[in-house]
Amino acid sequence: MSSQPSVDTTALRKLQPRFSGIESGHGACQGCGQALAARLVLEAAGPDVIVANATGCLEIFTTPWPQSAWNVPWIHSLFENVAAVAAGIEVALRAQGRTTRVLAFAGDGGTFDIGFQALSGMLERNHDVLFVCFDNEAYMNTGIQRSGSTPHGAWTNTSPAGRVRQGKRHFKKDLLTIISAHGIPYAATASVAYPSDLRAKVRRALDVSGPSFLLLHSPCPLGWGHDSAQTISVDRLAVETGLFPILEMERGKVVSSMKIRNPRPVREYALPQFRFRHLLMDTPEAREELEHLQALADANIERYDLLSEAPGPRDSGGADTVRRGGSRWG
Amino acid sequence: MGIDKERPASPVRVNAGGFALPGTSKANHTGSWRLERPLYATSPSPCHGACPAHEEIPVYLDHLAMDRPRQAWEALVAANPLPAVTGRVCPHPCETSCHRGSYDRALSIHSAERFLGDLALREGWSYPGLDGEPREEAVAVVGAGPAGLSCAYHLRRAGYRVTLFEALPEAGGTCRIIPDYRLPEEILSREVERILATGIDFRPGQKLGRDISLEELEEGFSAVFLAPGRQKNRSYSVDHALPGDLHHGLDLLREWRNVGSLPRWERAVVVGGGNTAVDLARTLLRTGSREVHVVTDEELPGRPSPTGRGTMPAIAREVAMALEEGVRIHTGRRIGRLILREDRVIAVELLHALKEMEGEAPVHRAFTGTETILETDAVIPAVGQEVDPAGIGRLLRNRPFLSLIPTGQVEGERRIFAGGDASPGGGLVSQAVGSGHHGARRIDAFLRQKELSLESPPSPIPFTSLNLAYFVERPAYEPRELPVAARTGFSEIESTAPADLIRTEADRCFSCGHCLECDNCWTLCPDGAVLRTAGIPGIPVPYVFDYDYCKGCGLCARECPSGHIRMSPEP
Repeated sequence: MSSQPSVDTTALRKLQPRFSGIESGHGACQGCGQALAARLVLEAAGPDVIVANATGCLEIFTTPWPQSAWNVPWIHSLFENVAAVAAGIEVALRAQGRTTRVLAFAGDGGTFDIGFQALSGMLERNHDVLFVCFDNEAYMNTGIQRSGSTPHGAWTNTSPAGRVRQGKRHFKKDLLTIISAHGIPYAATASVAYPSDLRAKVRRALDVSGPSFLLLHSPCPLGWGHDSAQTISVDRLAVETGLFPILEMERGKVVSSMKIRNPRPVREYALPQFRFRHLLMDTPEAREELEHLQALADANIERYDLLSEAPGPRDSGGADTVRRGGSRWG
Repeated sequence: MGIDKERPASPVRVNAGGFALPGTSKANHTGSWRLERPLYATSPSPCHGACPAHEEIPVYLDHLAMDRPRQAWEALVAANPLPAVTGRVCPHPCETSCHRGSYDRALSIHSAERFLGDLALREGWSYPGLDGEPREEAVAVVGAGPAGLSCAYHLRRAGYRVTLFEALPEAGGTCRIIPDYRLPEEILSREVERILATGIDFRPGQKLGRDISLEELEEGFSAVFLAPGRQKNRSYSVDHALPGDLHHGLDLLREWRNVGSLPRWERAVVVGGGNTAVDLARTLLRTGSREVHVVTDEELPGRPSPTGRGTMPAIAREVAMALEEGVRIHTGRRIGRLILREDRVIAVELLHALKEMEGEAPVHRAFTGTETILETDAVIPAVGQEVDPAGIGRLLRNRPFLSLIPTGQVEGERRIFAGGDASPGGGLVSQAVGSGHHGARRIDAFLRQKELSLESPPSPIPFTSLNLAYFVERPAYEPRELPVAARTGFSEIESTAPADLIRTEADRCFSCGHCLECDNCWTLCPDGAVLRTAGIPGIPVPYVFDYDYCKGCGLCARECPSGHIRMSPEP
C-alpha cells in the first residue's frame, strides 16, 4: 500500500491539533533544522506572542515579499539589535497592561557576535523576553562564514582546511555560561533531535518572569554538508558525543543536564558532515585535530558530568522514545 | 524565494506607498523543488513473513497494545480461525524472526495469540461476518483437521456454501491427539465448534472412498478441497522382526484420547524424533510407565548440529521439556536388532547412527561395532504417517503426496484442490491452517475466474530499516509454566498471560513496516508538509503528505521508527 487518499489539505490544516506559528511554503532549504526548531518553539509558546527576528536565514526564508509564513505578529530588526527591539516591545506591552509574551529570534551570528551587546543589555535590564538563538554554528545566510559559535576544527569559507590549518583554529564560545553569568533566572540548551525536551524548555522559560535564553542547536544541511535527511540523526550525535551538552542553568548555576546513555566517538559525528571531512584524512595533522575535537567532547562530558549511570527516561536514549498513538509529544 | 517567478500576478494588494498587506507563504508551492517523494508504505514484517498461518501480527499487536482486544482478535482471525490452538501448539517461528530479538528480546507473540484466542472463547465472540456478498457456488471440503477447517472457514467468509466431510465422528483432525498438557481438548472443541457454527454443512462419519467418492463430489460441487491428512502408519520392522503386540505411536495417543487408558510399562522404547514420539513418551510417563526412552538417529533440535546432520523434527521446546520431565532421549542411535523371547520384546540392540541430509533426501547410516543393549518391555514406532490412498488413488499416481500446481489444483485436475499434510511441506498445525487459507483463496480465484498473483510476496522489511533511536529496552514477558515437579498430570504447563502484562508486551512490538502513529513524521517535518488525519472521520490513514509543500528532504523516512515511510523518485 503506497498511495494516500485524496484529501482537502486546506480544510485539514485547520484541524491540526497543534499551533503552527510558521506555515508551509517558506523557502528554507530541504531538511532545514532552523525551520523545524522555530516551528517547535512556537508550538510550545502558543499564539499569544510577538516575535522580533534579527536578520538571518529565518527572517529571509519566511518573508519573501509580499508573503509571510508567520502566523504570529512578527517584526524584522537589524542584525545587531533584535534584543533591543524585543525589549522595547516588552516595555510597551507592559505599559499597556497586556500579557502577550515577547520572543526574540536570532541566529548564532546575531547572538554570539553581532547582536551580543544588545542582548547583554537586555538581560542586564531584566526585560521579560525569551531570547532564542538558533545555533547552526556559522553565518549560513551569507554563505557559510565562521562565527563565534563555529566549533573547533570546522571548515567554513573563512576557516578553510588545507595543509596549514585544519578548519577553525578557535573554540566555540561558551555562550550559555556567559549569558547565565548575567544572573538571569533561566538559560538552557536544546537540540532539534529532542523535540520533547525542546518544547518543555520553551514552556519552562516562559514560566519564569524576567529574561530567559534558549540556545537551540539546529543543523544546517547546506552549511554542514550533510544529507538533508540527516538533520535529526546528525544532531543526535552532537548530543551523544558530548560536543553539544544539553543543559539548564538558573541564576548562573547548572541545575540539570541531559545525560548521555550511549556516548559516541566524535568521528561518527564528523563522518556525515562536509565541514569535518578533512579531519578524517590519513594525515598526522588530521588525526591530531580529530583527537583534539574528541578531547573537547570528553572535556564537556567531564565538566558537566554527562555520563548516565543507569538508563533513565530523560537521558539521551530515553528523552525521545516513541509511544504508540503519539502520546510522547504531549 | 524566487522559484515561482513565472506565476501570474500575486493576489496580494499593494497599497499606495508601496507596502503590501502580506499574503501567506502557502501561495508558494515548495513541492516543486522535490526530486523524491515520501510515501507511507506498509511492508511485511518479519513475523508475518515467518508465520505459517499468514497472521498480520503487528496489526493485532497494535490493537492489543491500544486496548482494543476485540479488534485485535478480529485482525487475528482474519488469517487464523484457531488462535487458541496455535497459540499453544505452534513452535512460533514468528518469534525467531522478530526484529526485537536483535535488539533486546523477541516478543512473546504466541502469548498474545493465545491470550486473544482464550479471551474470545471466554467472551463468546463470534467471527466477523462475510467479507462480501453470498455466493451461489458450493464447495466440498474433505477432512476436518486444521487445514480443512481453515479452508472451510475462509470459504465461508468469502461467501461460499461449504460442506465439510470428515471420516471420524468429530472435527479436529490430528489436533485431537495432542495431549492435554499442551492443548486442553476443551479449547480445541470450542474453537472447532465456532468454525462449524459459521454455517458450514458438517458431515461427520463420511470417509472418502468408503461413504463418498471423488466423482460424487465433483458432480455435486463447484470445487473440492482435499485435506485428508496422513492417516496410514508408515510400516515398521527391524529386519522384518516385530513384536507380537505392536502398537503404533499415533494409535496409542488416539487410544489415550478415546479410551482413556494406556498400558503401563516398566520400560518402553519409542522410536522416532517427531512430535508424536515426544508427545507419546511424555504421555506414557504421565500414565504410569516408569522409564521411557526415545531412540532417534537425529540430533536434538534447536542447537547447532554438525554439518549436514538431521535434527529431530519435534518442537525444540517440547523436547527440552520432555528431557526435564525425565524422558531419556538417545540421539544418534538406531535399533539394530529386536531381542525377542517368544513374540515379546525384552531388549533392543542400539547402534551409533546418524541421519545426513543430502539435499532434500535423508541418508541414514549406522555403524557396527558400537552395539549396546537397552532392556525394555515395549518398542513403539512413531516413525511417521503416510497419505492413505483410499479414495484418492487416481490423484496420487503412486506418489506419496498430492502434488499441487501453482494455482492450487492437484496436478492434472481442474476443480480439485488440496492442502494440509496430504500435500508436500509442513506438518505444523499453523502450516495446515495457512495451507487451508491458501486453498480457499485459490478456489475463490478459480470460481471468480480471477487472476491470482503467483509472484512471491515482497520480502520482509530488514532490521536496518528501523530507526532504533526511538526505542528503549524493555523487559520481555515471560510465560508462566508449571515447575517440573508439578508436571505429573495433564494440567496445562503454560498458562495464559494476564491482560495487563500482555498489553504491555504487545506494546513492545516495533510494528516493523507498519505505522505506530507515533507522530514522528508530523512533528519533525521542517516544512509542515505532514498532516495528521488520525481520528478524522472518513480518512482511513493516520497521516497524509501535503505534496504541495513537501520538499522531499527525506527526514521523515529516515526518522520513522518502524520503516513505514519510503522515498520514491518523483513521477
